[in-house]
This record gives sequence, C-alpha cells and structure tokens, in this order.
Amino acid sequence: MISSIVFINHKGEILVYRVYKDDITRSETTQFCAKIVATKENKECPIINIDGTSFIHITIKDIVVLATTKVNVNVAMTLQFLYQLVKVCRAYFGGEFDENCIKKHFVLIYELLDEVMDYGVPQIADADLLKKYIQEGGLKPELMNDVEKLKQLTSQATGATSWRPQNIVYRKNEVYLDVIESVNVLMSVKGTILKADVAGSIQMKCLLSGMPECKFGMNDKLLMQREPRKPGQTTTDKGITIDDLKFHQCVKLPKFDKERAITFIPPDGQFELMTYRITENINLPFKIMPVYNELGKNKLEIRVKIKSIFEKNLFGTNLAIKIPVPKNTANVSTNSAIGKAKHEPEQQGVIWRIKKYPGDFEALLRCEIDLGSTTNQQPWIKPPISIEFQVPMFTASGLRVRFLRVYEKSGYKPTKWIRYITKAGEYLHRL
Amino acid sequence: MAYFGNNPQRGELQELYADLNDLNFEKKKEAVKKVIAYMTVGKDVSDLFQSVIKCLEFNDIEMKKLIYLYIVNYSRQKPDDAIMVIQNFRKDVRKSENPLVRALAIRTFGCLRVPKLNEYLIEPLKDCIQDDDPYVRKTAVLCVPKVYEVSPEICPPLLDILQKLLEKESNALVLANLIQSMREIEVVSGKQIINLNQKIIQKLLLAVDECIEWGQIFILDYLATYNPQDSKQAEVIIERTLPRLSHINPTVTFCAVKVILKYLDFLDNGELVKNLCKKVAPSLISLLSWNQPEVQYTILRNISLILQKFPILFENDVKVFFCSFNEPYYIKYEKLDIMVRICDSKNFAQVLNELLIYLNEADPHFVRKTIKSIGKIAITYDKALDKAVSILAEFAKNIQSPTEPAQELLIQMQLIYKKSKQMYKHEDSLKIIYSIIDYANEPESKSACAWIVGEFGEFIPKSVEKMKEYIDNFQMEDRLVQLQLLTSAVQLYLKYPSQCSVLIQQLIVSAKDSFNPDVRDRTYIYWRLLSTDPEIVKNLVCFNSGTFSNFSKDLRLWETQDLVLALENMGSISNLFHKLPHQLYKNIKIKVNNQQEVKIYKGEEKPEAQVKEQQDENQQNIQKEQQQDIDLLNFDDPPANNNKNNNSNKTDVFELI
Repeated sequence: MISSIVFINHKGEILVYRVYKDDITRSETTQFCAKIVATKENKECPIINIDGTSFIHITIKDIVVLATTKVNVNVAMTLQFLYQLVKVCRAYFGGEFDENCIKKHFVLIYELLDEVMDYGVPQIADADLLKKYIQEGGLKPELMNDVEKLKQLTSQATGATSWRPQNIVYRKNEVYLDVIESVNVLMSVKGTILKADVAGSIQMKCLLSGMPECKFGMNDKLLMQREPRKPGQTTTDKGITIDDLKFHQCVKLPKFDKERAITFIPPDGQFELMTYRITENINLPFKIMPVYNELGKNKLEIRVKIKSIFEKNLFGTNLAIKIPVPKNTANVSTNSAIGKAKHEPEQQGVIWRIKKYPGDFEALLRCEIDLGSTTNQQPWIKPPISIEFQVPMFTASGLRVRFLRVYEKSGYKPTKWIRYITKAGEYLHRL
Repeated sequence: MAYFGNNPQRGELQELYADLNDLNFEKKKEAVKKVIAYMTVGKDVSDLFQSVIKCLEFNDIEMKKLIYLYIVNYSRQKPDDAIMVIQNFRKDVRKSENPLVRALAIRTFGCLRVPKLNEYLIEPLKDCIQDDDPYVRKTAVLCVPKVYEVSPEICPPLLDILQKLLEKESNALVLANLIQSMREIEVVSGKQIINLNQKIIQKLLLAVDECIEWGQIFILDYLATYNPQDSKQAEVIIERTLPRLSHINPTVTFCAVKVILKYLDFLDNGELVKNLCKKVAPSLISLLSWNQPEVQYTILRNISLILQKFPILFENDVKVFFCSFNEPYYIKYEKLDIMVRICDSKNFAQVLNELLIYLNEADPHFVRKTIKSIGKIAITYDKALDKAVSILAEFAKNIQSPTEPAQELLIQMQLIYKKSKQMYKHEDSLKIIYSIIDYANEPESKSACAWIVGEFGEFIPKSVEKMKEYIDNFQMEDRLVQLQLLTSAVQLYLKYPSQCSVLIQQLIVSAKDSFNPDVRDRTYIYWRLLSTDPEIVKNLVCFNSGTFSNFSKDLRLWETQDLVLALENMGSISNLFHKLPHQLYKNIKIKVNNQQEVKIYKGEEKPEAQVKEQQDENQQNIQKEQQQDIDLLNFDDPPANNNKNNNSNKTDVFELI
C-alpha cells in the first residue's frame, strides 16, 4: 500500500518522514520536494507520477502532506486518509496545523504515525479514540499497569461501537442539534437559475449518560409516506425530497436502508450526525438583480438590487455582497439606503456590507466607477457577483426536525435544544 | 523546534553519545529525541546504534516507540547489532500483560526486514495471531506480509494460520486487516491465497457493518474483484452493500458504488437493475460536489469510465459538471472533458451556452481547452455548427494578440470548415477569422491558416499577397506548415494561374532541396503533375465535396472489452491515469476478461440488452478515429482520401507516381 508519509513545508524541506515500506528511497522524495513542491507545481494536480512512484498529496495552508507508493493503491482512500491524519493532528494541537507546531510536536507525530498506519495500511485514526492511549509525554503509569482498563480500551477500539466508551455519566443530560444549510446557486446573466443545491449538515452535541439509543426524524418525504396516517389527522406537510444523505459511522446504515429510520448510539460530545443534499424546491433567501452599464470609455455604472425572500419576522445577518470591478478602477462612488459599501482594491471589488437585513425587503446599491487609463487593451473579464449571508431560523430546503427520541435503560429524559441556520455557500450571479 | 536546523557536527555526535550513556533518564530521553530529529532531516546517526538500543532497558513507552523507530530505520545497515534487540522484542511479546506493548513489539519486529532475524520472529508471531486481544491480532495479521516480503520460504505455516483465522475470526477489524494482509501477499507472490466460500463471504458482509471506515474500504475493494457464482449471490452482496452509499466517508461510498456497479452485470432481473441505478446515481453526484478538491478530482477521473458503461446514471445531468468560478483548474479541466463526453444531440445547446461563459476565464490554457471543446462539439453534431461558429466568431473579434486561445481558435475553425465549407458564410466568420490570421505562431495554427488561404482564396482579399508572404518565409517554417503551404499554394495557383505562376516557381525552388524527404517528395509530385496535366492536380488538391462524414469523433476513452476490468479497479492509480493496471505496473499480470460481451446500460434501451452493435460501432469508430488521426497530422490527406472514394481513376495516377 502506502510506502511513506511525509510532511513538507512550502520551501520543500522535509519536516516529518515516516517510511512504512522498503521500496522507496529518501532521494526520490527529496526529488519530489525540489522539483514539485519548491516550484509550486503540486498545486496543479493532487497526484504526480515520477518513474513509477506515485506522489499523492494534499496541501493544507503551507504544508504539503504526502503519501508515496509504488503499487496500484486506492487514491480516493489515500487522500481521505491524509485528510484524516491532518484532522487527528489538529485535534492534538488545539486546532492548529502549521510548521511551528509540527516541529514542536514531532515526537508525538511519529507516535501517531506509528499508530494510524501499519505497513502502509490505514488503521485506527479517530482522534478521540487515539487520545485514550496516545498522549504527549507518555501515558499515565496507572493506565499502563491496569490490565483490566487496557483490555476495555482495546476492545472498544476494535469493537463495533468504537466511538463511544462505556460508563459516561452526566448530571444533566442534554442534546444540542444544529441544522446548518449552505445554499449554492449559480445564476446566469439574465437571472435564470443555472444550478442550485443545498448542502446541509446536522451537527449534534450529546451530553448523555450511559449507552443511549437515539432515533432521529425529519420531514423526509420518503419516510413520511411510510408512516401510517393517524385517523382524523390531516397533515399539510408532505415532507421534502432529499436527494442524498450521508451519515456518521454511528448511524445504523442497514436499518436506514430498509426502514429509512435514523437510529444510532452517539459518540460523546460534538459530532456531525449527517450531511445531505437537496436540489428540489429550494427557497432561495436572496435574489440579486445587477445592471451593468458602460457610461463612457472610462466610466462604468453598476446597480445591484437585492431582495430578501423570507418571512418578515426573520432577519438575514452579516450580508456581504461582493461586486467585482476592473483592475484599473481609480475611484468608486457608492450610494445605498442601508449598509456600507466600499471599494476594496485587494479584493478587486466593491464590498457592500449589511449587518442586519429584514425579511421581504428590497435595497439598491448604485456604484459609479471611474477607470484609470491603461495600456492593456484586453476587455475586462467580469467575475460573478457573490454574496455571503446567514439567515437564522430558516432552512432553504424547508427541512424540519420532527423528533429526537433518546432511550437509555436508566430512563432519563434529556433536555433538547435545536437551532436552524442557512448560510451562503457559493452564491453567485454572473455579470 | 530547537531540534531542527542544527547539523550534527562530529562534536555533536560525541555529545549525543555522552548524553545517551548518561545515567540521568531525562537526559537520555532528550538525546533520543534529538537523534530522531537528525534522522528526520536525513542525517546519518547510525553510528549511535548501540548506545540507543541500550536505552531500551527503561520501561518508558514513549521512549520505547522512538527507539523502535530508530531501529527500524537502521536495522538493515546494522543487522548484527539488531540481533541484540531480539530478546527485548521476544520478552515484550511473550511476557507483557499490556496488549499495547505486545502489539507495538510485534509491529516493530516485523519491520526489521533482516532475513536472518525473521526465523526468531515466526514463533512469537504465531502466538500473536492467536492472541486473545483483538488489538494484538489485528496488528499481527499485518505482520505476515512484512515477513513474506523478505523471507517467503519460512512463511507457509503462517499462511495456513491466516486461512484458518479467516474462517473463525469474529472481530470485524481483524477480519478487514486479514483480508488486506492476504491481498498484499497475493500481490507479492502472484498466487491466489484467499479461498472464499459462502460462509466467509457472509462474514465479510457482516464485518462491513461493524468495522472502521478503512476496513470497510478493504473489504469492499476486495469484493469488487470477486466474481459471484450466480445472480442470487450477486443480489445478496449488492443488498448488503447498498447501505454503504450513505456513509459519510466518500471513499466508502465510492467503493460501494464500485461493488454495486460491478455486480449489476451478474443480475438477471432487469427491473432490479434499473432501481439500483436510481439509487446509485444521487450518491455518486453527491461525491462530485465533495468539499475536498483532491477527492473530487479522483472521482471525476473515474467518471468517463462510468459514463461509458453506465450512460443511464448521468442522463439529463450535464449541469452537475458545470464549473464553479473558484474551483482549482485541475477540477475544471476534468469537468470540461466530461461535459464534452456527455454532450449529445439533445443537450448541446445547454453545453455550448455554458462553455461560452468559460471563454471569459483568465487562464489561457483553460480558455484554449474550452475552444477545443467547442470545436469538438461542432464537428460531432451537425446541429451545433451554427451556434459554435457564432460563439467562436464572436470570440475572435476580441483577439488582439497571438495568444494561446487564438491558436486553438484557428485550428478549430479549420476543422469546422473542413467539415462544412459552407460555414464560412455564417456570421461572416471567414472575414473575422482572416482578420486574426497574422496572430498564428504555432505550427498547427499556421498550417491551419495556410489551409484557409488556399481553400478560400477566392473569398479572401489579397490572398495571393498573403501566400507570397508565407512563401517568402518558407525555409523557416515547421515541416507541418511547409507541407500545407505546398498544397495550398498549388490550390491558389489553380484558382489564379497568371498571378501565381511566379510564386509557385519561387516555392518549388525553395522546397525542392529541402532536407525533409516528405517536403521534397511532395514538391516533386506537384511539380511533375503541374507540368504534365494541371487538371489532375485540380482533382487532387481542390476539395469541394462540402461535408465530411468522418468527423463524428469517438469520444470513448476505454476499449469496450476493458470496461469490466477497469471497473474493478475504480479509484486506483491506474484508473486515474485512464489505464489498466498491467499497463502501468509491469509486475501485475494481465487479467483476461472472461465475459464475452460487455453490457452497456443505457436509459432508453432495456438495461439487460446485450449491446452487440455497440461493439461493431466501436470497431467502426476505431477505424474512423485512425482516419481522423491522419487528418489531424497531415492536413492535405483528406482531399486525397476523398479522391480515393470518389474518383478512383484519378487515384491510380497518384499511385503511379
């Protein structure tokens, strides 16, 4: 499988170098560093083949994380593993991942590398689990000598519910649910929707004792059709069509496949229960209507009208509308009733920021752009207008959580909290 | 931080040596860390071997791990010193109550790779494979291929134990590692080692539900190489794999897609196949928008394969391949490629509208590829011609320098005119193209320009002057351009004999002594023909038939008979380079496809229809492709070809000479 894992900085210097198989020499790797990393060629393709050695890599900020191999490995898995490895490192370094902390914690990284991969084959790489038996500065001697505890640990690590240890106790049992939706839209120059989808994620924070069995339900059309209708009850909510769902490893997938029921024993603390993708009946929270005029050789006018399409009692927050302007922009005068608009040369655009934007409301921004003279005769290539926003208590897909049931043998009733928020993903309008 | 950046001078090694032998434990530990740091930056610290391994006597697990790392790194250089560590390993494996220590010892032991040490390893390894603790077992099974690689001769008893374990192991993670380990041995030995039976398959399917994500991938990857005995078994395996489509790890999903698609061939229920396709498609589309571009890239590189065997999966879904503005270019290139492949007579307008937008991108390579794609679509679909030419002509209006896109534009316009000469009238395209003809600076684009001047001489103002300009620089041109110039100049001569007679003589004079035999031969052929019978030349070089049927280019990447094998390897490196494993790796044996006919799953047709004509068509297409290749390389062959078909008596003349 994988021959070696290497961490490289942007200059092409090796920071961590761990070999799993004998078939690769260090000089092959340094060649890759010199030829590819130092020349930034690595940004051009995630896999590079040099003389029969494949260099599979990802770049996180300035650090290149590289896996080398000489056999026909599964590339998707290798890349996924590299991402997982970075995730593990971040979990140990308090979210950081840069040259400094790699150098500072290199002993720990070697220890981790020894554990997460064996003979080039990915092994247990779950940070919460690893933390139970790999800690910086070594484990407490109590654990090392307590054979019972160790046995419990290894059986959890290799068992079917490796994500949750036994015997968790909370005085107050609580569950927090966050439904976070990112709306991706691409609108044509004329304002027709070229493509639109919602990438949703349900984040959960579980502070629950024991081994709770949870059952989670939303207004999923396919699920609601299966449910027997109670007599006398007429529901107008027919549910929404979900294109695709992906679940955390704790969710019992066969059960979902058969009954479309989402059941699981959650990990302790925060985790992403599921992600989903929806392409039908999306409620776009904002509509952008740009008008672009050339007023003369050195003068442009861009008017952007923006309209919120959600209920009046809701608010959009932290709007930032980015209107691209040409490179040779000399001066921009803006005029709008709300928010602040400013030309930000480093972003090559006018950024119109609005802190709080009411529902069902229209606003207009008018920009007059003076262009400096330029020798470059190429016509200006107009990037799309983009917008960032958040709308709390709104879901673009119409998704609603219908229930979250928790069964535990001690029979406690946890407190449940739920929040919804819709954010802009890639929300673009071509100009 | 402090450990890096310093080079070990001779004095430093001495200092380390002193610290390693110091009585103070902390000092020793710091010294070991320093040794590892030097090793990382590539300095040779093998001389400290003895001092380092002496530090093993302390029962500190962190330091132990570091020392093991050091031993693994240098054991082959110091095999005799490494023997001294053996006792330590054996003690750890046999005596330690701590499963983590046992596992660590056996893991490291296997990595020594010194043949003569391996015999000490066999017994402890046997113990570990049968250890009570699953954590030790999962480590031990992976140790077997390590030993096998170095000393295969001592391994047969170990292999027996592995096969027995395969039958009785109940822990999912151990089972997954076991499968992976046996597959590694299969690769090294070239023999089949895993003997499957119904019971083991059942166990593997059960293990998929229970083990960690990587384990799921190993098992699914393995199942994708297995051929089920009958439709019933295929159905069971698919049914048990389906839930994996909802796993959050995209690779698990992707492997599940692979297994399901592969087993579809073995099902005899057409309705079921259709339903399964409906289930697979949305999962696959989700993967395409995965937020890690590298992963997205690997999936995209496999799409051409899926498109070819399962066109049904992406029906009406060209939109999912539209590029976003902020994506890395390597993703955009793939998407562009796929959009051309997926383009058909129904959706070409939608695709062209999208490509039009990409012409505004900043990257010239990408714009160039976009133009090429537009050209490809135009010559593949007659209906798309008008729109494509409008787009390209509009783009040409803004060209003001010899950019890369300009080169491609000229090349594609030539191909379009070759396909349908009448297009020169559309939107005045010829006039617009002619206005940028001076920006050609690559052999291909220049030769395209020469072709245009010759072919459209009568519609272009001052075409003779233009030709003179070209001929004045004849010696400096590339062979490709020279050959085209010869044909084009003769063409022009036939159109304007009096104006061109001097020109053609000048050309013959400069070309007849060319070092290049092709150029020389062609010059002589034209020369002789012109001096005997210009009418023959006319039929040879003036090509007026209007349309070219040969242009419907086959966009398929894979040979149909390779599809099954390629599908088994979906996600692997070879597939990423659009090759079969044995084409990329010499040590992999060619696997023969036993299936006589490859099933193609189309939307309209019955899915189980054996598409035999597909293969015939493919054959034809290959032939066409060969012809087209000639077209592209040698620009005046089409007239010759055409001549062969239509005026066979004239061909004889050509052959005589």
